[in-house]
Amino acid sequence: MGRFFYGKLAFDNIRKNSRVYVPYIITSISTVIMYYLMHSMAVNQSLGKMAGAAQVRSMLSFGFAIVGLFSVIFLLYTNSFLIMRRKKEFGLVQVLGMEKKHIARIMIYETAYIAIISVLSGLISGIILSRAMFLLLLKILRFEVKLAFEISSSSIVSVLLLFAGIYLVTLVWNLWQVHLAKPVDLLKGGQVGEREPKAKWLLTLVGLISIGSGYYIALTTESPIAALVFFFVAVMLVMVGTYALFTSGSISFLKLLRKNKRYYYTPNHFTSVSGMIYRMKKNAVGLANICILSTMVLVTISTTVSLYVGIEDVLRTRYPREITISSYGITEAHVVELQRNVSEVLESHEIAPEDTLEYRSLVFLGQEEDGEFLTDIEPSSLFAGNPQSLTLVPGEDYSRMAGEDIALEEAEVLIFSKGGSYKHATLSVLGRTFKVKDRLSRFPVVSHEASITQSHYVIVRDMSVLEELFRAQEQSASEYKSELRHFLGFDLPQDADSATIYRAIRLALSSGEPFSHVESVDAVKDEFYALYGSLFFLGIFLGTLFVMGTVLIIYYKQITEGYEDKGRFEIMQKVGMGLEEVKKSIRSQVVMVFFLPLAAAVIHVAAAFRFISKLLAVFNLTNIALFFWCTLGTALVFALLYALVYAITARVYYRIVTEGQALTQIND
Amino acid sequence: MHFLEVRNVKKVYTTRFGANQVQALTNVSFGVEKGEYVAIMGESGSGKTTLLNILATLDRPTEGEVLLNGKSILNLPHREIAAFRRDNLGFVFQDFNLLDTFSIQDNILLPLVLANVPFSEMERRLKPLARRLGIEQLLGKYPYEVSGGEQQRTAIARALVTRPQLVLADEPTGALDSRSTDSLLRLFRDINEEGQTILMVTHSTKAACFAKRVLFIKDGEIFHQLYKGSLSEEEMYQKISDTMTMIATGGVVCG
Ligand SMILES: Nc1ncnc2c1ncn2[C@@H]1O[C@H](COP(=O)(O)OP(=O)(O)O)[C@@H](O)[C@H]1O
Ligand SMILES: [Mg+2]
Repeated sequence: MGRFFYGKLAFDNIRKNSRVYVPYIITSISTVIMYYLMHSMAVNQSLGKMAGAAQVRSMLSFGFAIVGLFSVIFLLYTNSFLIMRRKKEFGLVQVLGMEKKHIARIMIYETAYIAIISVLSGLISGIILSRAMFLLLLKILRFEVKLAFEISSSSIVSVLLLFAGIYLVTLVWNLWQVHLAKPVDLLKGGQVGEREPKAKWLLTLVGLISIGSGYYIALTTESPIAALVFFFVAVMLVMVGTYALFTSGSISFLKLLRKNKRYYYTPNHFTSVSGMIYRMKKNAVGLANICILSTMVLVTISTTVSLYVGIEDVLRTRYPREITISSYGITEAHVVELQRNVSEVLESHEIAPEDTLEYRSLVFLGQEEDGEFLTDIEPSSLFAGNPQSLTLVPGEDYSRMAGEDIALEEAEVLIFSKGGSYKHATLSVLGRTFKVKDRLSRFPVVSHEASITQSHYVIVRDMSVLEELFRAQEQSASEYKSELRHFLGFDLPQDADSATIYRAIRLALSSGEPFSHVESVDAVKDEFYALYGSLFFLGIFLGTLFVMGTVLIIYYKQITEGYEDKGRFEIMQKVGMGLEEVKKSIRSQVVMVFFLPLAAAVIHVAAAFRFISKLLAVFNLTNIALFFWCTLGTALVFALLYALVYAITARVYYRIVTEGQALTQIND
Repeated sequence: MHFLEVRNVKKVYTTRFGANQVQALTNVSFGVEKGEYVAIMGESGSGKTTLLNILATLDRPTEGEVLLNGKSILNLPHREIAAFRRDNLGFVFQDFNLLDTFSIQDNILLPLVLANVPFSEMERRLKPLARRLGIEQLLGKYPYEVSGGEQQRTAIARALVTRPQLVLADEPTGALDSRSTDSLLRLFRDINEEGQTILMVTHSTKAACFAKRVLFIKDGEIFHQLYKGSLSEEEMYQKISDTMTMIATGGVVCG
């Protein structure tokens, strides 16, 4: 038996088993392409020294690490499935007199063919696609660089090393499986004596409790800071709960259904309920994986898309005006001098500021208890609770900004609240008590810090109230002191050279005392696009990868089951089940297996929606409507893709179950 | 008119591309009366399973006619075939064909569930039948938890639970040890004595000698038949083995 013989045998094997090998090869090729693309972009020199280029590069490196990791997971998973399916065949050829070393030789050829086909076509497609992908990335990032088309040799080497490693591991694994196998076991193929799974009520309870508490955290957390702190706790709880409920909850639930005789002993439910109990035993973990993966896809894509689409909103939240100047520890004289300095610069450039916002304020961070605002709280303990900020603004500044006159008594205030309303009729701070005269529905400018915590803007009669509170604070024992602040922000006319003016203002204020912090949107815009753009790119890219993984798991699950269910449906037809009923029963089971994880994922996302919007606030995205539509859109596209995979898989499954049956030929 | 009548049935298997043709049944004709217990004997490959599958409407003959109560069962509209099978026929197979996803009880009830029988009626039929077959203690167990003989009793219960007109059995003792075989054959005989019509195909002489009549099939044709009459099982056994020897050696049957 020559070399040619084994090669041909290996080739025939792949062709004969194309139903399972084709998806494997497609997965291999796709992961090679994705890995090459990510890697080549990460090492591409064209990004150069653009603002944010370093960030982008580290994001892409993170990306190829993830792609690499999941390539390993997906391919090993798929391979283990393939080898399971072929154990029977190995048993047969062994019985027919083929030795293990011959099987091993065939395996080596098979692996080599698959590796060569996948890596070669993956690399070629990757190289062809890389230019388009890179252009797309630059467009998303708004980088304007000349693109040097390069075939990245380091990426090729990296691909070769990674995938050679993966295929080597699969080969060793497969050879080990062949080595372990005895012909007798192989022939049985592990189909006899499947025990019915036990319902584990305790685990079900654990699952319910952890999902419940995860959801509770997600639904009740008020402050974005707390959301940030509890995010991983909530994610872990929901994940644990998902696994527990899929593995034990589903079985307990189905067994309850089975106990209900009137429900169970009907043609529609009889076969599907008992079939599902068996399916869940083998598939629960797989379905939980699919659910978690789907949730990840939905969250990743919807957040990164909203951040990118909402980038102008984000910038406006973070930088309410094109130029903003914040000063701390001010006095009357400081403000006058600052105003003079700024107008000198603007006049010398012949520019009239637009939409000017200017106000003084005193900001306390603390906690509200029964209408009393406590300022003397250690910052670290603040974040564990529900920190709130209190921004006091003099009435005259508010009147000027809002363009309306307000008249307040000495002990009266107006309140505008964000992230939760103020419920009390009075407000006490530093020993002074104010009566809440009215609540405002809007406020001209909300600082970006305010979107992180629950915040109250409190308009007092005039500056003297602020000064009085400031003095009261000086005398208090509080260690953490707030300073009087001044904010000045304005937009520039369309044609103004924002960069020059920004530099001039910084220069003019640099010597001033106290310190003024000058910011310009234009100076940071590029960095924002680089950061949010690469997040977006990564989100889409990894989203695609996860979708692929999801599809793969489902496809193989269904196929395995198809082969197992074949015998069952044959028997059922013999005892009088019609083809229509077979079809219906198959459909109801396949639909359940398919859409259970998707439904669970959608519920997870819905429960997490409020929570994630809080997190997005930390990233300055406060446009919840935008996030809502992005989430909905992502979910719809995902569901559509999912349904498509369902349709294909259901067809393959049905064909497997009914193929080669004399019965169906008659009945058709 | 016979209860079941098989007329000139012929079956030719054609492989997918029509390259090979196998003639499994050449020309089979016989009749069965209500309440009979008929065994069809033949060597492996003689076409027994093929014949039974045709009677079971699981397969279709190339030529010929099969009548049950005077009505052809070959030209049923395909939507009615499943219901016909469910309502009129009971099956017992060599390898039991129980579903491991169902408990013993659910395996027995399967055809009734498919026929949309109310659960109260199912319970009414199940209890006495299980007691009759000696499996009432096993109802909650699963097929892989009980012995081969018990699995085959379950299969018989499943075949009888619909109160079929005709029970068809294909090598029902083929996978059983000799003790289970004996008790199963006695069970078949008793059920027949209670009025159930049974048609069994087998290559086992021992199985056949319990039947009231034995048909011999060879080269796809009915070759000979024996009536048990008042013979004992031992005497019948002797006659059947003589006949089989003759068939094997190609001799002429006399008697
Ligand atoms: N589906 C089929 N396709 C082709 N030939 C078949 C098929 N089923 C049975 N045969 C052939 O028909 C003949 C009779 O088979 P069968 O009825 O199974 O015999 P028995 O049950 O008596 O052992 C055999 O030669 C067998 O090879
Ligand atoms: Mg047979």
